[in-house]
Amino acid sequence: MNGPVLACKDVTIGYGSRIVASHIDLEVMAGESVALIGENGSGKSTLLKTLIKEIPPIAGKVLVGGKDIKALSAHDIAGLMSIVMTGSARPEYFTCYDMVASGRYPYTDRLGRLKETDRMAVEEAMRVTGTSDIATRYVTDISDGQRQLVMLGRAIAQEPELLILDEPTNFLDIRHKILFTEAVQKLVSEKGTAVLMSTHELDIVRKMTDRFVALKDGKTDFCGNTDRLTEEYIMSLFRL
Amino acid sequence: MRNKTAASYALLVLGTGLLVFLNMVLGTAAPDDPSYQLILTGIRLPRLLAALVLGGALAVSGYLLQVFFGNPIAGPFVLGISNGARLMTAAALIVLMSGGVHLSALGLVGASFVGAGAVTIAVLVISRHTGKMSVLILAGVMIGYICNALTDFLITFADDRDIVNLHNWTMGSFSGMSLKTVGIAAAITFVGMAGCVALIKPVGAYLTGEEYARSVGVNITVFRLMLILVSSLLSATVTAFAGPVSFVGVAVPHMMRKIFGTTVPAVMIPACFLGGAAFCLLSDMIARLAFSPTELSLSSVTAILGAPVVIAVLLGKNR
Repeated sequence: MNGPVLACKDVTIGYGSRIVASHIDLEVMAGESVALIGENGSGKSTLLKTLIKEIPPIAGKVLVGGKDIKALSAHDIAGLMSIVMTGSARPEYFTCYDMVASGRYPYTDRLGRLKETDRMAVEEAMRVTGTSDIATRYVTDISDGQRQLVMLGRAIAQEPELLILDEPTNFLDIRHKILFTEAVQKLVSEKGTAVLMSTHELDIVRKMTDRFVALKDGKTDFCGNTDRLTEEYIMSLFRL
Repeated sequence: MRNKTAASYALLVLGTGLLVFLNMVLGTAAPDDPSYQLILTGIRLPRLLAALVLGGALAVSGYLLQVFFGNPIAGPFVLGISNGARLMTAAALIVLMSGGVHLSALGLVGASFVGAGAVTIAVLVISRHTGKMSVLILAGVMIGYICNALTDFLITFADDRDIVNLHNWTMGSFSGMSLKTVGIAAAITFVGMAGCVALIKPVGAYLTGEEYARSVGVNITVFRLMLILVSSLLSATVTAFAGPVSFVGVAVPHMMRKIFGTTVPAVMIPACFLGGAAFCLLSDMIARLAFSPTELSLSSVTAILGAPVVIAVLLGKNR
């Protein structure tokens, strides 16, 4: 694919008639990772919810793989993008393997049975995220850091072209932050996956992403290479 | 993992088989009694088949509700769904009987289904406003009380000759059914279980949360509707034929999760059916034989066996 994997064209986001931000333009290419930053309430989560079709855009177009998401079915979208959100369900008696395998949903038969290719994809995703050795543990019995790696494994097993991450490193210790970002970087460089990640952690933005988009006062405040994320800009973005 | 699943199934099938046998042979009638054969095939057989089929349906319905509400102590009885079904069945019986209309078994299930579906949707609306599982359960219990009160009103105004029947039925019981009636109940349960098979895949995804389920391609609106229809059909069938039976829907799925060590639907749906069947066969056997010839009410037995399981779940949660 030559065009951007994800594109927002003059998008207005919000809930019903309440506009959170407007005139958002954004592109993420294959093999590129883009950070989404901004104050609390600036619309980062609302934008991500719009991109994953949880809420509709108030105006403008969201294109995934060159197609308007309005015209794509849930199944089509599932084959194109996967997500890691802040909160994760913690079903009881559900193993880490089960969790990662749930990412194979778009590829399994009507009964959801895993084929050999599905098992291989799950094992590969667990290897990349370093979660192979906790495969048989229940998701309720592991640490927050491990759980976030498992959720990333789930998203990788879905074999997406676009990975959407909503503040994925919150509450993680340094070691798990590094493990998480390294796994994402590997995915970007080896599989050419496009990544859009909202975050408050500017260190991670500098280390992990190529470009960043900043939301402020209901609009796109800045969009550019990560080396433009200077102290001065941060001071103005966060009103320090 | 696979061996454990196979062994657990084997154990469950054996247990259920043993309970079927015991329910058939245990009782006060002596083999030299001239009516012994009739008692076995005309009374005990339909009764144990009813316990088997309806017990299974109830446990599966409970499992679906637990997934749906993300709540390990949800179930058709605690959420007031059985009581809603009971209210509508009683209303249909009383209104139509006083009009001289005889209601068919299917008609009763239909009325019961409307009640079960209405309460499920009411509980769903409440669950949208609260994330606390205790609030949801309390709301369900309150709805159950309201339905019970309304049913009692209806019974007060019913004809004397209907009251005896109605009262027995509202206590919950597998007795008094003919083989033909059990056949109808089994047929409807079969339809519900076929619906469950179609739900195996999306239920598995829904366990990971609504947002993630949507992201892998589950059509949430269709899934919700299907789940409400299937779980209401199953619990409505039980209520229409056997009245409200307490705690089976909550306790059995939990016991099965413990035994099988998983909550994955492809394992849990058949396991819950078998487990519910075994649980109800055991409970009905105790109700019938413990103080024979006096019979205990079925729901008292299922409550004594099932309620401690719920307490155990609650304590485990707040650990």
